[in-house]
Formats: sequence, C-alpha cells, structure tokens
Amino acid sequence: MPADALEVAAVSKSFGARRALQRVTFRLRPGEAVGYLGPNGAGKTTTLKIISGLVAPSEGSVRLFGLDPREERDRALRSIGVLLETPGLVPYLRGRDVLEHVARARGIPREERAARVQAAASSLGVVRELDRPVGSLSTGLARRLLLAAALVGEPRLLLLDEPTLGLDPVARADLREVLRRLNREGTTLLLSTHLLEDVEVVCNRVLFLRDGQLVGDEPVEAGGRDEDGPRRVCLRFASDVSDVPLSALIASGRAVERRGPREVVLEVRGGLRGQAQLVAETVRAGLPLAEVSPLASDLAARYLELVGREEEG
Amino acid sequence: MSGTLAALANNVTWEGTRLRRSRRAWLLLIPLAAGPIGSAIADLYLRVPSVATAQVLGLLITAGLSSLVVLDLTALAVGEDLALRAHLLTFALPEPRRSGLAGRLLVAAGGPVAGFAAGGGLVMALAPRLVMMSPNSAGPILVPLHLYLGLFGVLVLLAGVTASAAVVTRSAAQALVAGVLAGVTCAGVGSWLLLDRALTVVFPIALAAVGGALTVWAVVRYGSLES
Repeated sequence: MPADALEVAAVSKSFGARRALQRVTFRLRPGEAVGYLGPNGAGKTTTLKIISGLVAPSEGSVRLFGLDPREERDRALRSIGVLLETPGLVPYLRGRDVLEHVARARGIPREERAARVQAAASSLGVVRELDRPVGSLSTGLARRLLLAAALVGEPRLLLLDEPTLGLDPVARADLREVLRRLNREGTTLLLSTHLLEDVEVVCNRVLFLRDGQLVGDEPVEAGGRDEDGPRRVCLRFASDVSDVPLSALIASGRAVERRGPREVVLEVRGGLRGQAQLVAETVRAGLPLAEVSPLASDLAARYLELVGREEEG
Repeated sequence: MSGTLAALANNVTWEGTRLRRSRRAWLLLIPLAAGPIGSAIADLYLRVPSVATAQVLGLLITAGLSSLVVLDLTALAVGEDLALRAHLLTFALPEPRRSGLAGRLLVAAGGPVAGFAAGGGLVMALAPRLVMMSPNSAGPILVPLHLYLGLFGVLVLLAGVTASAAVVTRSAAQALVAGVLAGVTCAGVGSWLLLDRALTVVFPIALAAVGGALTVWAVVRYGSLES
C-alpha cells in the first residue's frame, strides 16, 4: 500500500502566548486535490510552512510520502513543490536565474535543466518572462513565475498558498486549469485559499480551518469542479410573476425554487455564458426582470456554517 | 556529504549570478586594482619617505577599500533575501541551508578578502620599485608584513559582524551599519593600542577569531531560522 502523500499528525504551533494551530490532523492520499479553507489568520500559511520545513511545529509531526522532514529533510522536500503566499523576488534577477537555481538545488542533471525550466515556464505561460528582470513583472506574472519555480522539480505534492492571489480573471481561470491538469496527471494538491471558487473548480475534498483548529473535512461536490458547470442564479422581478410558467419560457434555466411572487431561483449550465443567456431569454420573453444575482454555492454555505459563524458573532 | 558540497557549489554559482545581475561583480576588482594604483600614485606624488612607509600607506588604502566591499557584499548576501522575503522560496528547497549560506559567503566575503590578499601583495611588491630610499627618513609606524597579515583579521571581523547582524536583524541595511560601527571601533582600539605601544600579534588574531566565530554562528543560525 503506497504511503500517504502527506500526513499531518496532531500538529500544534504557538507563537509566544498565541496558539496558531491546535492539534491539526489530516492525511492526503496520492492524487487527491484538497482545499484548505479558512479566514485570514486561521493558520493556513503556518500549516504550509510547517509542512515545508520553514517553521518547526511546537507539537506533532509531519510525514511527506512516509518521510519525516525533520530527519530526512532534503529527501522529503525533493518530492514537494511549494508556493507560499508572499515570497519576494530579488528584483534584478531574471526569471531564468531563479528557475535554474531551483533546478540545481533539486538535483536536476545539467543536461535536463534547460528543458525542465522551459517546460515549467511554458506550462504557466511565462516563457517570455524568463529573460526579464523579475522586478519588472506584474504581480500576476511574478506569481506565475513562482508557481513555475514550484513545478521545476516535477513534484508529487504541490503545496499552494493563495495561488490565484493577484491574478486577473483570465489568468486565474488558466491557472485553475493548469492545477486541474496537474492533478489529473497524478500530482497531489493542497490548496490553501480563502477563495471558494478555487476550491470548487480544482479540489475534490476540502478541509475547514478556524482559529487554528480543523473544523471540517468533507468531499467537494463533483458538479462544482467544472467552471462551466451548473450554477444557481436568483432572478428578481419588478412585478408579480407567480402565474408565469418560468421553466417553459426560459429554455436555458431550470427553475429550482420560487421565493415569493417576485423572486425565483434557477439553475443554469454553461457558467457565466449560461447566465448571460438566461438574462437575454428572460428579457426576450418580456418578463419584468429587475435584478440577477448568483447564489452562494453549497460550499459557501458550508463555509459560513463551519468557519464564518464566529467571525460574524 | 555530497549534498553539502553540491549545495555549496550551487550557492557559489548563485551568488556569482546575483553579483553579475546586480552589477556588483566589478566591486571584487577594487581591492585588486584601486588599492595598488591608488598607493602607487601616492608613492609617486607624495614623496613618501621610505619603502616601508609606502607599503604601510598602500596596505591601509587597499584594506580600507576591501572593507567597504566586504561590508556591502556580505550584508546583501545574507540580509537581502531575508528583507525581501525571498528566503520563503529558497528555504523550502531540498538543500542544506547552512551549506547554501556558506557557499554564498565564500563569494561575498571570501572574494574581497582574496582581493585584498592579491592587492596587498601587489602593494608590497610595487613599493620598492616606486619609492626612492631617503637615508634620513624616519621608520614606519608598523612593520609592513605584520600589518599585511593583521589586516586579514580586520576583514574577517567585519565579515563576521555583518553576517551575524544580517541574520539577527533580517536587514542588509542594518547589517551594513553594524559592520561600519565594528570597523570604526576596531580602528579606534587599534590606534589606541599603537599609541600605547601595546599593539601585538594578539590583536589581529583576536579580531580574526571573533570574526570567524561570528561567521560560523551566522551560518548555523541561518540554518534554523524560522520564517
């Protein structure tokens, strides 16, 4: 039986009197894509730093593919790629310098190095940026370059902390697609984020963290994995539409629930495009549409239930 | 062991790349070129009274320039990544961090010290060819060979103070200030010992020992830094 990709066992971390993590325990099986959700300050980054050996746990242990990173640090770290939330880049270095340094540190033979650097940069669309000073790159491009650095060693486990931070919507969608492809190819993912959409699109399981404690470990609905998949939209009308057979009039949506005489929830396919089509059809049908708002997903509701309550209180 | 050596070699290359990209690599030539050239000009135009005095003057010029380069390169080698949080990328790499920093210091601190060795050697060799002996000239305040060897102690001290200050403060700028303060203190104590006729071989050896110990401490501490 293959070892777990990652085993975090009763890990606690204190910074002075503050307890950042309290007996956090979870496992990642090889090939899983797991979201690590929690509000700012919940302890997500601390967990990732402990896993990647940047911070020592106060209690508990971590195993990467069966190896204890404290005893066999270099061997254990060789199998992982890490992108932490806010690493800086030395501005005068070129992207290629950074990636080649990473490749050398990962023990990639000289004859393979250039090809591996090129492949990692290509998969993130930053080939042209390899020969530019990193100080001249936008936040999004620098972030993609850092992710390329995490991929240079072809890691079996990727630890990603807010990977889509600072990316524009197109780059974010591209990056999610890259992560899905890597996962399909067998890379295990641990995706720390507070963006639910990242988790819905990329992950098949989610861990909820609140105040340093793991408060939930659940599968993510398969439907949520597709950006073009179904989404629920609430339509509000200017006048009473309770007598109108909505599902008959609106071909692209499936009525799910009426919430009163002027409000109805529909499920649409095709992501944003499907949503736009629904609006067009509603207007064409002569319905007095006043407002369209996408509904929070099941994951969002679950997040609020497990993590959000305390913040609200 | 192979991992340690590989990390050392990788980081020697890495520091070389950093120096090249930041256009600071030419600083390594300063002790080698500017020291001997500066002291040769002084020898020729200031009518330095003796070869030994010319050598002492040239060594002090070369060591002064070397000190500035040691301070600058060491502070940046250790403190720049920490200040920019670039260490979050390199600390997670599968190589021994201590060997990594040692490799980088080998270039950043070892380069200027080697530059002083060569520049100082040139000063010692050139002075007899540029200075005419004056029979009535006073003797130099220091034996040139002793000064040449002793100045290595000063450079090692400056590297050690700067490296350890960079690890503690996580800032190249503050490490630079600490190094300058150490240099000024060292010059003051050396001058006082000289005037008091108490300057012996113990002083540079003590400086080198303290500098070496601080460098080792910085390397060891860097390996266990938490981010």
